[in-house]
Amino acid sequence: MTFLSNSALFGAQKGGWAESFRMPLVVVLSFAIIITIIAWSVAPQLFTTYSPVVGVPADKLLGPSTAHWFGTDHLGRDLYARVVYGTASSVSSALVAVVIGVLAGGLIGLLAGFLGGWVDVVLARLVDVLLSIPKFLLAVIVVTAIGFETINAAIATGVSAVAIFARVTRAEVIKTRQATFVEASFLSGGSHWYILWRHVLPNASRSVLPLAVLQFGESILVIASLAFLGYGDPPPASDWGLLISIGKDYLKWPWLVYAPAFITILTVLSVNRISRWLRKTD
Amino acid sequence: MNNAYLTYAAKRLGQAVVVILLAYVFTFVVVSILPGDPITSVLRNPQNGFSEEEIAEIIAAQGLDKPIIVQLWHSLSGFLVGDLGMSMRSNRPVSTLIAEVLPSTLILASVGLAVAMILAMLVAYGTRFVPKRYGQGLLRGFPSLFLSVPNFVIGLVLIHLFGFQLGLFRVINPDSFWATLFAAIALGIPISAQIAEVLIANLDKEAEQEYATVARSRGLGQARLFARHLLKPASLPVVTVIALTIGELLGGSLITETVFGRTGIGSLVQRSVSTQDLPVLQAIVSLGAVVFVLVNLIADLLYPLLDPRVKILGGQKRRPTTADETSIGPSKAVTP
Repeated sequence: MTFLSNSALFGAQKGGWAESFRMPLVVVLSFAIIITIIAWSVAPQLFTTYSPVVGVPADKLLGPSTAHWFGTDHLGRDLYARVVYGTASSVSSALVAVVIGVLAGGLIGLLAGFLGGWVDVVLARLVDVLLSIPKFLLAVIVVTAIGFETINAAIATGVSAVAIFARVTRAEVIKTRQATFVEASFLSGGSHWYILWRHVLPNASRSVLPLAVLQFGESILVIASLAFLGYGDPPPASDWGLLISIGKDYLKWPWLVYAPAFITILTVLSVNRISRWLRKTD
Repeated sequence: MNNAYLTYAAKRLGQAVVVILLAYVFTFVVVSILPGDPITSVLRNPQNGFSEEEIAEIIAAQGLDKPIIVQLWHSLSGFLVGDLGMSMRSNRPVSTLIAEVLPSTLILASVGLAVAMILAMLVAYGTRFVPKRYGQGLLRGFPSLFLSVPNFVIGLVLIHLFGFQLGLFRVINPDSFWATLFAAIALGIPISAQIAEVLIANLDKEAEQEYATVARSRGLGQARLFARHLLKPASLPVVTVIALTIGELLGGSLITETVFGRTGIGSLVQRSVSTQDLPVLQAIVSLGAVVFVLVNLIADLLYPLLDPRVKILGGQKRRPTTADETSIGPSKAVTP
């Protein structure tokens, strides 16, 4: 990995864009899936005519068909509609979790790596403590502390991801800080904050981005797990984890589990593939 | 065993103790910021039928009327001598509650870890042994696929396929052999994906080393090369990965126990969360941290002994205790 000054970085990005048109087919497919998922969460009504809340009792527990792509649930609601309408909450909560992780973790890592000394020691201990508590248990107690809601599950997931971002940012900052161009910037009279903002941050963010994308997929899984245990919004919300949790009581009609599970897996798989591609093209 | 190693071990041990204590304090703080006073929500709930005297007694026994810092001190000093306090719901010692369910979770977790290790080994072996046209890519895709599957889904699929369709086990009897095995598989698969990912990457790296080429040129077959030369250096870093997955094993058992209807630490956590039984939560989370820190301590201490290449480095490292990233170079390169 080389360290480029800011102007060179932009040049590299331009080349990078041209390069990115030659992305592998799987990555293109992953982007297509993610775009569909985003569309689902922004405008669910465009993708289905069924209501996610009101069902037709006569049509309960129907198998997948052309009328009901994912079948219907125990109240006769179209499962595809429920999945589509549940996307917004599932995806945006994962986004909230990542933003919390990146901002809090990034800040901790930046300060620890850049200031060094006792700040580094104190923050490193804090990160060790956060890492020492099993991640899922940490998310569970945080969500218990702040209340069972999907947004709180997202916050809890974000808190449990802070440590990882802090570690990576700190490592990147330390690596960048030792680069020759940063030394040159110090010598030519750049202030601490200027260098932090202008040189260290852009360089550190380049390896934080793939991690953030990866964490987005992971957050979807953790939030789904919390929803599965009933720590998210209660029904009639239709978060993916909640849908699977409801479906588990109707295993005789397995599509109630398999359909939302399939969408969850497909989404996370695509996100992970994009993250891997980002890491490689860096 | 040289002096540098002993210094390293002592430092690492001290650090572990500090982290455990801080984790306890951290958990305590998180648990105590619960909105809604646990006293009113639990004790004054008419369903529980506590009389005013009983409430006063419980409050006094738990020390809930004292300032938070006193409570913390009380709780922490109890923890240090192995006293985990009393459950707020059942009025029994927390340690008894945990001891009751611990064996079940230990069985699940250890079988799960064994499944994970065996599966990871098979997959990694497969990537070296199965030719490209017979599905090597499929095996290479295994880690990324199973890192994308929520582990409750794996459990549900197993229950659906093997419980419902094939009738191998019944969820009504969660402690039977098959039910335990499948629960362990559900727990183990996501963890095996993590181990396999590292193992495959290491095997690829080792296979490109010169000694591997030499071994191949001596006419060693793929299987022997794997067993005699590649496996050992490739699996050493896996020790660290396995230690890191201990936390996931604990968190995963929470979900797996729910899915398979087992009683264990996970179901105890669930019950304590829904009844807001704070002392039990505090105890389980801090014990989780203790287990995680100790296992990683052991892994870190064993590592230099297992891998002689690291020992040399360990002696040179000035601060082997802080995050590994510092080993990239001296941390005081820039002095403005």
